[in-house]
This record gives sequence, structure tokens and C-alpha cells, in this order.
Amino acid sequence: MWRPSWRPSVDRTVALFLGLVFLSFVLITVDLRAQGAGVGGSLRDVAQTVFRPVQNVFNAVTDPIVGFFEGISDLVGVRGENEDLRQEVARLEAELAETEALQARVRELEQILGVEPPDDLESVTARVLARGVSEFDHIRLIDKGRADGITVDMPVVDEGGLVGRIVSVTEHEARVRLISDPTVRVAVQVERTGETGVLTGRGSERMVLEMFNTDASLLEGDLLVTADGRFPAGLSVATVAEDAAAEVGFSLRTTADTTAELTRVDFVRVLVFTRDDTSSDDLSDLETPVEVPLETSTTTTVPQ
Amino acid sequence: MTRRIVLASLLIVAAVGLQTTLFADLRPLDAAPALALLVLMGAGRHMLERPALLIGFGSGLLLDLLSESPLGLWALVHTVVVFVVIRFRERSEDDPIILGFGVFVLTAGALTLFAVLGTIFGEKTLADAGIVRKIVLPAAYNTVLAAAVLPGITWMLGTRRRSGWDL
Repeated sequence: MWRPSWRPSVDRTVALFLGLVFLSFVLITVDLRAQGAGVGGSLRDVAQTVFRPVQNVFNAVTDPIVGFFEGISDLVGVRGENEDLRQEVARLEAELAETEALQARVRELEQILGVEPPDDLESVTARVLARGVSEFDHIRLIDKGRADGITVDMPVVDEGGLVGRIVSVTEHEARVRLISDPTVRVAVQVERTGETGVLTGRGSERMVLEMFNTDASLLEGDLLVTADGRFPAGLSVATVAEDAAAEVGFSLRTTADTTAELTRVDFVRVLVFTRDDTSSDDLSDLETPVEVPLETSTTTTVPQ
Repeated sequence: MTRRIVLASLLIVAAVGLQTTLFADLRPLDAAPALALLVLMGAGRHMLERPALLIGFGSGLLLDLLSESPLGLWALVHTVVVFVVIRFRERSEDDPIILGFGVFVLTAGALTLFAVLGTIFGEKTLADAGIVRKIVLPAAYNTVLAAAVLPGITWMLGTRRRSGWDL
């Protein structure tokens, strides 16, 4: 029987690898063209809903561990205690750490209940369930969603000020994109002078403030609040970190620290506020929001 | 083989769960380990080649679905990581120094690849002013954790492996 004199020496592992790489590029292209909506958006919602119980379990299991380490860090500064006290601390350490963690969360929740958003806005208090899957994800997952009246684009604040905005919503969860994300730009106003500018996220580093056609100078500690753009006006966003003056009367560039402590956000409030006419590139971030219908919600009204 | 695939999948789900919960709060120097990547490397050392590639692709896809990055970006990065692991795993067998070095280089390389691809696809990842820290620290943490995680995965998955789909 005749057989071919050569056999193609295809390494099937390499072929599979190349196939998966190609598939990845196809997925990326399709998802980018859909701009986060379409099948990709639906799959994300499903994945988030399915994965939430897993995160709940891990939250429940790891909370005492986190509390323990937080307690340890609190105890680092304590010195000169006698041996009896040290033994007592060792015995009560785990219990104490857990209690302190709980108390801190209660205090934070109490503080956040005192936040007064402008213009009698209703708000929904939510707990942060999880953060993004990598260091490059400036995302927080919160435990309130469409069923609570939350829709895409709503501002999110904590006791310090603006935290971010809602970028996707499922029935019982929502994702918040932090203002520190490099794709986010926020229109702000200097409270002291009334001049406006644009704050740009730079990840974990300080945000950058740019002001154009200005001859004013900025002082360290100047409060920056939201201008009338995508977000309701008057929300605290950041404080100027370095003095700065305009260059030749044209532009000014300096850095600013967010007033909200973005690295330690446990509870937030979602302001029931959306604005459809934010078309100016200067005043919005670069994502395209996904329209989600507003449903009946269980919102709370903040006493003014 | 099915047992290994199921176990590896569960380990990766657990790693993602820990990464998004425990390491959301435990962040020395404001960075956390890339645990899913580390577990993937550990599983890739002991799985058959093609199932390992599929697990890598699937784990990346899970990260994509749980993040706001373009669908397929993490899948691509994880697939490349597993491919490198299965190509070089014979050379690093049981040598802790080479393993540690490999974990550091692979983690840093994977995060760099993600940052570069993310920027190409409009995510502005490289615009993050703390980009170097966000690559180096997770790689360092992964290297430290590898001392406990890799032996654990070896214990759970076993050391037997062959090429292709062979059972």
C-alpha cells in the first residue's frame, strides 16, 4: 500500500497555542468593536452573578484573617509593655483584631451615613465586595445593583468625596470605575477661585490637574470640587498637592490627592443621578456608557 | 487527567476568589500578588500540554469576564504564560532557585505583556504612573508565595505528566 513519503510534522501543541492566540485577538477585536456591550457585556454580567457566591464565601472566610493582620499592624507601635500584658495580648489578639476591624467598619458606615450629597439627591449605601482582578483594574464591585435603583453612570462617593462612577450593573451588583483610572477625566472647579480644570487619573499615583487659559495660581490644599459636568456640581474630589502658577498665562499643570481614600474603600454611597447631555470630551471619561433601564428601587433619602 | 483538569480549574477559581477578596485588603506597599498567574504556573508544570493551554486560556477568560479589560486580553496573556511553562518546565524541575527566578520573570513578563497590549488596545495601562511598582511587587510577592503554593499544587495534582492528550 502506498504511503506518502513525508508526514507533516505539525506540533499540535504549538498549533493549539497559535489557535488560542488567534482566538484571543478575535475576542479582543469583537469586544472592542462592541464597546463593552453586546455578547461580551452580557457574558460579564453572567460571570459576575455566578462568581458572586464564590466571592461571598471568600469574604466570609478571609475577614477574620484581614482583621488579624490589621490588628497586628495596629499593635506594631505598642512598646514597653510588661510580660504579663504581652501574654494577655497574645491570648486576646485574634479576638481583639476581629473586634477592631468590626468597629472600624461600623465607624466608617456611620461616617458615610453623614455624607450629604448636594441637591437633595437620593442615594444608595453599598458595601464593596471585591476589587479588580489585577493591579491594573481600577474597579470595585459593590453589593447593590439594578434592583436597588442603580444605573450606569451614577456617581459614587464615600465620606471623603467622589470615588468613581458606575460602569456596569447587574440585578444585585454593580461595578465602580475609580476616578484614579487613567481613562477617567473629571471636570473640577477650584473652590477658592472658582476656576475650572480637568483632573486625570494616573493609577495609584496622584491625579494630574490641568487648567487652560488661566492666570490664577493654585495653593497646596486648595479643594477641588466637581464642576457641572458628568457629575453633580459640588462634590469634593481632590486637594491640590503642590503650589502651581500658570505658565505665561496659558496653562497650569499640577498634581492633586483624592479626598476619598481610594485604597481603603469599604462602604460607598451611590448618588441617584444621571445626566444624558455630557457630550463634551473635556468633561467626561473615555468610556461609552451602557444604557440600563431604571427600575423601582429601594433607595434611601439622605437628610439634609 | 480529568481529575487534574477539574482540580486545576478549582484551584484557579479559588485563586481568583482570594485575589479579589483577601488581597483587596492585604496589600503591603499597596500591591498584591497575582495569585491566579502563580496557580496557573503551578498547574502548568504538572498538566498535559494541551489541557494546560486550554486551562490557561479559560482562566484568562475568567479574569477578562470579571474585569473591565477587553475580553480576550488576559486569555492571551495566560495562554502565553502556560505555553512558556510547558516549554521550559523540564529544565526547571525541582530547582528552587530556577523556579523562583522563573516565577518572578514570568509574572513580571505577563504583567508587562498585559500592560503593553492593554495600552495598544486603548486601556491606557502604561499611563499609570505606578506601572513599574505594579509589575515588580506582584512578581516579588509571587516569588515569595511560590515557596508554599507550588509544592501544594504539586501535592494536589501529582507529578506525572505526558505530552499531548495521552491518558
